[in-house]
Order: sequence, then C-alpha cells, then structure tokens
Amino acid sequence: MCDIIWCKKEAGGKPCDTVNYLDPYCFWNWEGKVGCAECGTVYYVHMIQGHMYRGPVEKPGEKPDILPLYADKPYKGYDFYLPGVEGRTRPFDCLPREIYLGHADTVKFSIRGKPLRGWRPQPPSTGVAGSCGFFWDIEKLSPEVWAEYQEKIKKGEVKDW
Amino acid sequence: MDDKEFQKLKVCDFEELPGPKSKEELEEMKMPFEEYCRKAFDPGNEMTKPEALKGIRWLSTTMYIFTPHSAANLAELGAEVIKVEMPRMGDPMRHTSPFNEAYLYPLHDTRPMTGTGYGFANANINEYYITLDYHVPESKRVFYDLVKMSDGLTECYRHGTFDRWKQGYRYLLEMNPRFIYVWGGGFGYGPKIFGGSYDILGQAHAGLASITGTHEDFGGHATKCTNWCIDWYSGTQIAVAALAAINWRRKTGLGTMIEFSQVQAATRMCGYTAPLYGRFGIVRQRWGNWDTQLCAHGIIMTGKVDFPDAKNPQEKFESRYVMVSAFQDADFKELCNVIKKPDLFSSYKTHKERVGAPAQIEIYKAIEDWAVDKTRSEVVKILKEAGILAAPVLNDKEVYESEHFRTRGTIRWLDDPLFGDFLVHCTYSAGLLSKTPRRLRWQWRPVGADNVKIYHDLLGYPMSTIEELYNKNIL
Repeated sequence: MCDIIWCKKEAGGKPCDTVNYLDPYCFWNWEGKVGCAECGTVYYVHMIQGHMYRGPVEKPGEKPDILPLYADKPYKGYDFYLPGVEGRTRPFDCLPREIYLGHADTVKFSIRGKPLRGWRPQPPSTGVAGSCGFFWDIEKLSPEVWAEYQEKIKKGEVKDW
Repeated sequence: MDDKEFQKLKVCDFEELPGPKSKEELEEMKMPFEEYCRKAFDPGNEMTKPEALKGIRWLSTTMYIFTPHSAANLAELGAEVIKVEMPRMGDPMRHTSPFNEAYLYPLHDTRPMTGTGYGFANANINEYYITLDYHVPESKRVFYDLVKMSDGLTECYRHGTFDRWKQGYRYLLEMNPRFIYVWGGGFGYGPKIFGGSYDILGQAHAGLASITGTHEDFGGHATKCTNWCIDWYSGTQIAVAALAAINWRRKTGLGTMIEFSQVQAATRMCGYTAPLYGRFGIVRQRWGNWDTQLCAHGIIMTGKVDFPDAKNPQEKFESRYVMVSAFQDADFKELCNVIKKPDLFSSYKTHKERVGAPAQIEIYKAIEDWAVDKTRSEVVKILKEAGILAAPVLNDKEVYESEHFRTRGTIRWLDDPLFGDFLVHCTYSAGLLSKTPRRLRWQWRPVGADNVKIYHDLLGYPMSTIEELYNKNIL
C-alpha cells in the first residue's frame, strides 16, 4: 500500500494535478509535512498504520519535512519525477531504515564464521554489457577479509554449523 | 516356441546380469532401509549424478516469486534457465525484501549502492542472468532469436501484454512450433482479466484466508500465512504442468500454452471446502489451531517458555507451543489421565462426542490448564512418555539446529560462487530423487551477468553488437 497526495493547487489558472507518492515503509506511522514535487505546496499528513488519519492539509508558508519519493502527472502523458531529483523528490538508496539499525548491515561473515561475500560498496568489476565471471576468488579480491578469515580459523571460530 | 528360437531372442544370460541370483543371495544383499535410503539419496553428492532435464532450455521473463519459482524448479532439475531482466534494474524482487535490510552486492556496475535482497533467494537459482528491454522495437529480433533457441518460456505479465507486444504464444508458435509457453497470470482470463495478483490476493480471493486463523468468536480474524505460501506453491505447480507439456511434446512434437492463474491455484489448497458447500450449503469456518474433524488434534500453549533468558523475543516469549494429537479413544483416555482429568474422558468417550465445538473448547482448556506451570519441552516429554504424539512448534533457529533436517540436507550451507556462505532450504524440500537429484549451484548472479555468455556464445552475436545494444540500454 502506497498512499499518495494528489496536489490540486491552482497555479497560473491551472490545477497542479501532480500525484506525489509516499513510500509505504517511511509513511506507515508518520506525522509531518510533505512538499509537492511540482509546485512545492506543503501538506500536513498524519498516518497511522498506513491509513491517512489526518490530512493532507495545506500549510502555506511552512517548510516541508520530507519530499515524496516519486511523482507523476497523469493528465500530462505521465510526466514524472524519479527519486532523487533535487528540490522535488528525495533520493532512494536502498539503505535500511534508521530505526532498525542506523547503518547498512554489511556483515562479512555468516553465523558459522565463513566469509559472506557481497558487502557494499563493491568496486566495478564486470566486463562487456555487465557480464561477470562465475567465481569470486576472495583471497585475491578481498585479501583483508581473507586474512581475517584465516585468523578466525586459527581461533576456532569457524564451524561446520 | 522351441528352445532354439527362445535362445535366439535372448541378448544376455541371467547369470551375467547384475543383482542377486538366488533368494538367499537377495536376502544377504539387503541392507537396512535407513542405510539404503542414506546411500540412495546421499545429500551433498548430487553433483556426481545426472540431471533429469539436461538439454532443456527455458526462458524466464518473470518477476517476484510466483513465476520465477516455476523456472527455478526446472533449473534445480537440470534445465538451462535464462532469466531475462530489465537493463540496470533487474527483477523488482531484488529490491523488495526483507525491508531492504539484508542485501548482497553488487547488483550492477552502474548501481554500486544497490544490491539484491534476501527475498530474491531460492526463487531464481542456477539461472543465467541476461537483460533485455522488450519495449524497444530493436529488441524484438533479439527476443525471437532467444525463442528459436529455447524449449519454453514462463512469463508473468498482465493479460495479453506479451500478445500485444507480438511475443505471446500465438506469435512464438509460428517461429518454434515445439515451444512451451507459460503465462502465469494473476487472475488468468475471465471477468477479472485486468487484475494483477500478489500472493496475499490469491490467499484472499480463493477463500483460503477465510478458513485460516482463529474464529472471530475467539478473537481471531481471517488470516494470511506469514510467508508467501501461494507464490511458492504455485511456482511448483507450474513446474508440474511444464513437465507434463515436455512429455506431451515428446509424443507429438508440439508445444503447449499453459495458463496458470495464481488466485485459482489457491483454491486447490482449500481441500473439501467447495464440495462441502456443494452438498450442504455450509460455508466452512476457521478453526485456528484446532481441527474441525479431529479432537484432540491441535496446537496448545504452555504456561512457561523453553528459553526464558534468550535475547531473541521469538525464543524468549514464543517457545511455548506444542502440537498434540490424541484423537483415538485409547490415546484420548491416556491424555485425560496424564492431565489428571479422567472425568473428561467419561464425558467424551466417543470421537463424535468430543469433536463438537463446545467439547473442543472444554478439552483444550483442560489441556492448557494442566500445561500452565510447565515448559514446552516438559509437556512434550510427558506426553511422549505416555505414548501420545506431541511435538514442539519449532522456530527458524530450531529448524536450523534440527539433526533430522541436517541429515537429509533439507537445510544446509551453500558456498555460493559469488556471494559466499549462504544458508538454504531449497531444492531438497521438493523431494529427493535417487538417480537424478535436484541440485543448487548458485543462488543468483548480478543483473546481466551472463549477457556475453548467452548473446555471444549461444546466439552468436558479435561483441560489437552486444556493446552497441548495451550502450543503447536495450541490454
């Protein structure tokens, strides 16, 4: 479920008619002000369990707390603003929510102590058209993790299960 | 037939054939069944055995779990499955769950800060990952070239979308009459053709959610299974249809179109619900952790947990459920004795008497009253010692620690060639095959990782063409 704010604010004699999409996880339980991606009109909303409990109510002259993730204009052949358009939409970088961890979880070892490759960010490593090999030689490509792994083996921290 | 003629027909002597030559020898050669099974199935050594579907090439133009899982089933059995994704983006399932927290990188060189979520796991295993944007006219030829080289395809787009794009079954059939085509639609054709579908919609629309969970009289509501059980189940069912189509093609040389509706698949899981309505007009009700047909035969809650000091709330608060089954008269009598309520058996001596709703309420309350000062393991131990079937309700951690599952390879560690140590429960969970076992080579690969392998090595496109298509964002 992704709620929207459909901005109908008149500007220059025409309604703004922009659909501002509110990302479901961030807005599940949320209270604050969201700015329209097109005309900048600020709306107050209060959402509880994903329901629009109050709002959207216009708050002229106030600053938005957050911008929508994405917006489009259905009556204009679906013009749209992708995430991360400065001043219009906020960026989306797939980070975990701060309320859970506060940082991206980039563990390098599984619960039994063996290397779990694939932490972020990875250096660009693909060939033509994004193609890549079938095996990642961790000893060669991530020597520091390999060294840490060897230490773990010595300490007996690597188990079968 | 005289002996001479008979000898002519023989191609070998009985003595030359492998296996026992007498009844005694047969008995001698027999090993205990447990030992036989361990040797025959031998989890972990599946790579040394042949693959049942080797030689089959399948295209997976799919997203999320439902349809991808159908192709993954074929890939587990040895088919060469090519997953086609949107350039730079990939299957949306890569970005979906679990809540963007457990990602594996990289997704693609152009998006270094985006990875693939664990929600993608087990649904696309052993596949080759290529990219293609069907929306561009220049991509049509590429798509048709892939179809000509393949045995089948699974797609999950809305009603008639592939047909509109001139890549539906009716078009592809003319290029490859042996082609097997699966449309895994949400609702399928019919009055609700425009409806897309998700697992939860299948559970709701098929009536499954209405019979799952606790009755409203007990404070319950229609409930969906926490995991996307219809997605996983339907994917396997599609694979069954695909195998039938492959067999049909062996006989006739002709392909098939398989239309698979996700919401329809969920009706099959409702058991006798529809026949019951047809005969009596009775709308089946939810009965939660108890059973409408058997009593006692359900899940009860104990008063104490097994792990009171655990940090994880799932263990600390929830390790207190026990499955108990004692519906036959003798078992129920013993259960009543164990819980020190012999009068309960006097009240409900026959199964017919105790299966009614008021009786069940009284019986389960009595069992839970008895268990109020006991832990889960204490309850299981006491009941098992009394000869009553009982088992703890296990959580993920306990399933991981289960020796039974470990022995059978149900849950095991994969050293994924790209992503390293990966705990998995796919492949064997769909059955063990002694001769041609399912196998897991890798979980997934980055978006477009096999573009060169497929477009250059398989289709023979020059590298310059691949680079050109890639730079135009068609690959």
